[in-house]
Amino acid sequence: MSVRKAIAEKLMWETLRRWKKTSPDMDRIEFLKTVPFFNELSNWQLKKVADIVFERTYESGEMIFEQGQPGAAIFLIMEGEVSVEIVKDRVVTNLARLEKGAFFGEMALLDEAPRSASARSLETTKTLALYRNDLSRLIHTDPLTACHIYCALARIVGDRLRSTNELVQTGEFIEKVSA
Amino acid sequence: MKIIVDIEKKEKERKSRRQLVQIGFLLSTFALIVFLLVKLKALLLPIVVGALLAYLFRPVKDRFRVSWLPHELRVLTLFACVGLVLFMAINQTRKMIPDERQKLELKVRLKYKVNEKYQEVVGGGKGEKHLGPVGSLISKEIGPAMDQLNKLLDLDTDEAELFLKYRNGYKGQEPISDRFFEYFQANQTTSIYTPPAPRDPSSVKDEVAAPSPQSAELQNSLMEQLSIWILAPLIFIFMGFDNGQMRRYFIGLVPNRYFELSLTVMDMLDDAIGKYLRGTLMECSLVGLTLAVGLFLLGIPLPVALAIGLISGLANAIPFLGPAIGLVIALAYSLIAENITPLIPGLTSQDLAMYVVILIGIAHVLDNVVYQPIVLGNAVNLHPLVVIVAIIGGSVLMGVWGMLLAIPTVVVLKTAVETLFKELKDYRII
Repeated sequence: MSVRKAIAEKLMWETLRRWKKTSPDMDRIEFLKTVPFFNELSNWQLKKVADIVFERTYESGEMIFEQGQPGAAIFLIMEGEVSVEIVKDRVVTNLARLEKGAFFGEMALLDEAPRSASARSLETTKTLALYRNDLSRLIHTDPLTACHIYCALARIVGDRLRSTNELVQTGEFIEKVSA
Repeated sequence: MKIIVDIEKKEKERKSRRQLVQIGFLLSTFALIVFLLVKLKALLLPIVVGALLAYLFRPVKDRFRVSWLPHELRVLTLFACVGLVLFMAINQTRKMIPDERQKLELKVRLKYKVNEKYQEVVGGGKGEKHLGPVGSLISKEIGPAMDQLNKLLDLDTDEAELFLKYRNGYKGQEPISDRFFEYFQANQTTSIYTPPAPRDPSSVKDEVAAPSPQSAELQNSLMEQLSIWILAPLIFIFMGFDNGQMRRYFIGLVPNRYFELSLTVMDMLDDAIGKYLRGTLMECSLVGLTLAVGLFLLGIPLPVALAIGLISGLANAIPFLGPAIGLVIALAYSLIAENITPLIPGLTSQDLAMYVVILIGIAHVLDNVVYQPIVLGNAVNLHPLVVIVAIIGGSVLMGVWGMLLAIPTVVVLKTAVETLFKELKDYRII
C-alpha cells in the first residue's frame, strides 16, 4: 500500500514539475535570467518582471519600430534575429544584427524621445517587450526590483557611451557608418 | 529568380488575405458589440458601476503592498476589510432606518411642518390673509404641488388606525406623544390650496377600472433587478483580482504595428480617467464633509447631518444639479426639524432654513474656489455647454444613473479621441 502511495506521489510531483516547467511563465523567467538587464534579480523578482512584459512575435521583414517614432518599450529577443538600421538621405545603414538574448530600444525606458534607429526582424522573431510606464510603476510596487533594473540600464548606457566615445576617437565610427 | 518572384507573390496574397480577415473580424466584432449593447442594455449599468468601483479601488490595492504576500491573498485581505467596513456601515444604517411607528410619526410630522411653513410664507387656505400679490403668486404656483405632497403624505385608513393604536400603546411600545397626536389632528383639517378641477367622468371610470399593481409582479420585478445588479459586485470582485491579465489580453489582440501606440494610448487614457474619477470622488467627499460639519454646527443631530452630507456629497458628482439636490434634501429636513439648538452662538432655530441655504451656498463656493482647483486641477477640463448637454442626454437615456455617468463617459471619449489623434500623428500612422 505504501509503495503504491509513494509511486502515486512521485507521479503527481513529476507531473506538477513538468507542467510547471512547460508553463509560459517559467519559459519567460528562464529566458529573463539570461539577459544582462535582469541577471541581478532573484527568482521572485523575475516573476514580477515576467508578469509585466508583453510577448510579441514578428514575421520575417516586419518592422518592430521605426526611426523617428516615439519610443515606449525595450525589446528582448527570445527567438530569431533582428536588424538595427538607420536611414539617412534615403540610404539604409545596418548598424547591428542582434540574436537571441540581445535587447534593443533600451533608451525608450528613459524618455519619450524619438527612436534613433529602426528595428526589423530578419526571420520569425519572438520578443518580450517591457513598457516604460510599467517599469515606472514598479518603482512604487517593488522599488528594489525597479532599482536593480535601472542600475543595469545605467551601466549598459554608460558602457555604450564609452565605446561610442572610443570609436569616435579612433575614427572607426565614421568608417563604419560610411561603409 | 522565378522562385523568389513566386514567393513574393504568395507573400503579397497572404498579406492581403490577412488584411481581409482582420477587417472582417473588426467589423463582425463591432456588429456583435452593438447587438449585445442593444439586447443587453439592462446589464450595461451594473457592469459599468462594478467596473467603476473596481477602478476606484485599484489605487488602494496598489498601495497595499506586502512583498511576501501573493497577489490573490493581498486582494482577499483587502476585500475582507472592505466587507467589514460595509457590514458595519449597513448595520449602522439599519439602526437609523425608522420602524413602523417612527415612519408614521415622520409622515405626520412632515405633513404638519411643511404645511405650517407654507402657511407662514403665503398665508393659509380659504379665508386666511395672503401676503399680497407675491404671496398669491407663490400660492398659485406652489399650491398644486403642495396639494400633491399632502396627498402623498396623507395616512390611509389602515395607517390612521395603526397610528391611533400606537397612540394608545401598541406592541408593548410607549404611547405616541401628545405633540404628534396634535399634529395628526391638525393634519385632518389641512387646507386644499387649489380648487379641484372638474373631472372628466370617463377618466374617473378608467381610473376605477385600472387594475392596482400586483404585489407578485412587483416582487418579480424586484427579483429581476436584484439578479441583474448582482453583476456589479461580481464584476468588482473579478476586476479586483485582475493583475494586468485583461490589459495583456487586449494588447495581445493589437497588431504589431500599433503595439507601442496602443500601450501609450491606454496608459494616457487610464491616467486621465483615473485622475478625473478619483478627483471627483475626493471633491464629493470634501463637499459632503463640509455640509455634514456645517449642519452639525447648526444643531442638526450628527447621524442626520452625516446622512445628509453623504447624500449631498454623492449628488455633487452631477454638475449643476448636484448642489440643488443637496439644497432640497437639507432644506426639507430643516423644515421638519424640532428641538434644534445651534452650536454657533447668536443663531436661532427659527431661521434654520435660511442658515441651511447659506451653508449650501458656502459649500458650493468652497467647492468652486478651493476644492475643484486643488483636487481636479490638472484633470480633464470640459466646456460648461458640453457638461449641460451631456447631463441632459444622460438623463434622457438612463435617468439618474445616466446623469451620474454622463461626465465620466464624456471624459473617456474626449481623452480617447485627443490622445489617439496625437499618438497616431506621432507614430506617423496618419
